Amino acid sequence: MSWAAHDLEPYAIQRHTRWKIAFVPLLFGSYSPDMMTKWFVYGIHLGPWELKAHDPAKFHRGWPGFGFTHSLLYGVVICLIFWKLLGSKSWGIAFLVGQWAHALTDTGDTVGTMLLFPWTFHFHVDAWAYAGQTGRMTDAAAYFSGLGGMWDAVWIVYGVFSWRVLTRSYFEEHVYTADGFWPKVNRFVPTSALLVFYRAAFFYGTSRWIAWTVWAHVIHHYPYDLSWGGPHWVHAAHP
Amino acid sequence: MRLRPVARDGHGFALPTRRQLAVVGGYAAAAALYIVIGVLVTDFLLSVFVAIVYLLVVAWLVPAAVRRVR
Repeated sequence: MSWAAHDLEPYAIQRHTRWKIAFVPLLFGSYSPDMMTKWFVYGIHLGPWELKAHDPAKFHRGWPGFGFTHSLLYGVVICLIFWKLLGSKSWGIAFLVGQWAHALTDTGDTVGTMLLFPWTFHFHVDAWAYAGQTGRMTDAAAYFSGLGGMWDAVWIVYGVFSWRVLTRSYFEEHVYTADGFWPKVNRFVPTSALLVFYRAAFFYGTSRWIAWTVWAHVIHHYPYDLSWGGPHWVHAAHP
Repeated sequence: MRLRPVARDGHGFALPTRRQLAVVGGYAAAAALYIVIGVLVTDFLLSVFVAIVYLLVVAWLVPAAVRRVR
């Protein structure tokens, strides 16, 4: 899984698409595969009870489980719901692009994704260890010690290079005009607040990448292991 | 030779203006505080919704309030 790439990819996509793309559904699509499942992968405590998937990796990415949320077909289905049922082609396509970006990015770890679901084969590049089953903190430590964290860093650097997509003028000329969502909300909320909202995912992805890196390597001294499939000090899950 | 910003419609690299650098500085300060809080209380880092609310308060509400007081 990726920790910051899903926050940052929409800005890169925004930069590279020559056609106007609705940013909110793009971001929503990028987040959507993990929205309902992450809490159950890591587990939560409710009083004396712990709610956690018996097999977190399978629940998250497999079948039976919610792995279909990381398939290309899932993006197409939600796209068609936006397009044909709710009447918004632009939201449908933007959601599709964001969700596909997420599904493809997550093939980078050792579990991968069932891209062609209902075919349950997992496409996985094995570049970094999937360690969601170890709990949130160990997963964070592992992710930010391996190539997954470096992959996120690539997106941050790319985002800095593309800084103009974060400017007010770009927002007003390209983002605001591409989607009726912004003018509607703008009736109640000033443009300056909408601009902050637009920048928030980039802020979140970049800031928490730095914070988790500091936490893992300055506070706790987890060792870096940038070898393929690492870090190897954590037990990596496989499909 | 003096470098100056070039407006290129979001594509290619260009140098930011002073005003844009000031905005970046504000966000960098907000990020520094967010990171300090997050390292000390990692739960703070877990939700994008918390980050959105935090950023709206720090980068919009507080500056707006300060401008109004002035």
